[in-house]
Amino acid sequence: MTIASNVKQCMVTLKSAKETLSKLAQKSRDDEAKRTFHESMMEVEEIIIDLQMRIGQLEFEEPQYKGK
Amino acid sequence: MLNWVEIVIRSFIFLIALFLLTKWLGKKQLAELSFFEYVTGITIGSIAAEVTMGLERHIMHGIIAMSIWTLFPIVMGLISLKNKKVRDFVEGKATIVIKDGKVMEDNLKKERYSIDELMEELRSKNVFQISDVEFAVIEPNGDVSVLLKKENQPLTAKDMQLKVAPIKEPQTVIMDGKVIDEPLSTIGLNRGWLNEELEKIGVSVDNVFLGQIDSYGQLTVDLYDDKIQVPTPQEKPLLLASLKKCQADLELFTIQTESMEAKQMYNHNSQKLNQILSKLTPLLKT
Repeated sequence: MTIASNVKQCMVTLKSAKETLSKLAQKSRDDEAKRTFHESMMEVEEIIIDLQMRIGQLEFEEPQYKGK
Repeated sequence: MLNWVEIVIRSFIFLIALFLLTKWLGKKQLAELSFFEYVTGITIGSIAAEVTMGLERHIMHGIIAMSIWTLFPIVMGLISLKNKKVRDFVEGKATIVIKDGKVMEDNLKKERYSIDELMEELRSKNVFQISDVEFAVIEPNGDVSVLLKKENQPLTAKDMQLKVAPIKEPQTVIMDGKVIDEPLSTIGLNRGWLNEELEKIGVSVDNVFLGQIDSYGQLTVDLYDDKIQVPTPQEKPLLLASLKKCQADLELFTIQTESMEAKQMYNHNSQKLNQILSKLTPLLKT
């Protein structure tokens, strides 16, 4: 396992968490909870973008490990 | 006319009259009868019985008497809604019997409550020691209401300064194996979604005795067949666990990486995720 694949795995987990959060934001009936879920989703999204950029850099540095 | 035929007719007339009049008196009657309302209720019933059986009496007389006995409490109720003084007079006022932890003997005497009766009422509220009580009143309907001293009150989330997830009333969407559409559409869901959820836990609608949706859109079911184990909803604990894992990962990357720039980015994001986690934990823990 390389760093790149570890980071990628983390990013993917966050992506699925983001989906769950958006689902919960839709389904929740309490406005406060809805907002919290939605805000968290947006913040997770920002983290995902950061990680994606880092993955790009890592793959550039070690192209032999470039995976899907 | 034969006597028994007349009794049948009268019975039906007064049954219907009684039913309509009590409907008219309203729900309050059942919940909190004041003594006056209690007595009028009995009287209305007695009049109905009297006129049903006493064939020498005129039906109209009975109806008139019943109407007046019904009308009067209603009018009194309407006036006392508007006027506090009338309300105090008609419905009575609460009497304070314990204040600052001390028994008000004079007020007890005024209500003709012995200390034994007061203790009995308190015991039925699970209070065995008078010194645990900060404040107690005898309500107009005879009940005793008790405010315990703060340290004797049950612990609440607020006392613990705990953040708890807000809840809304659950909606019952399946009863006796049949989907109920109205509550389902109240919360903006449809049969398609419900069928999908049921498929996820592997049961069919016919087998569901009761299905409810909580404030976070999770479906919980009770089956006819109690031998089948239904999986508990995993969505929220799973989300919490995976977010925690990612947070740990990010911390690990912070330590592992040699690039300063990346270190900063990981550190920043791990802190951000930490904040998200502290916000979400109360919501996801339930």
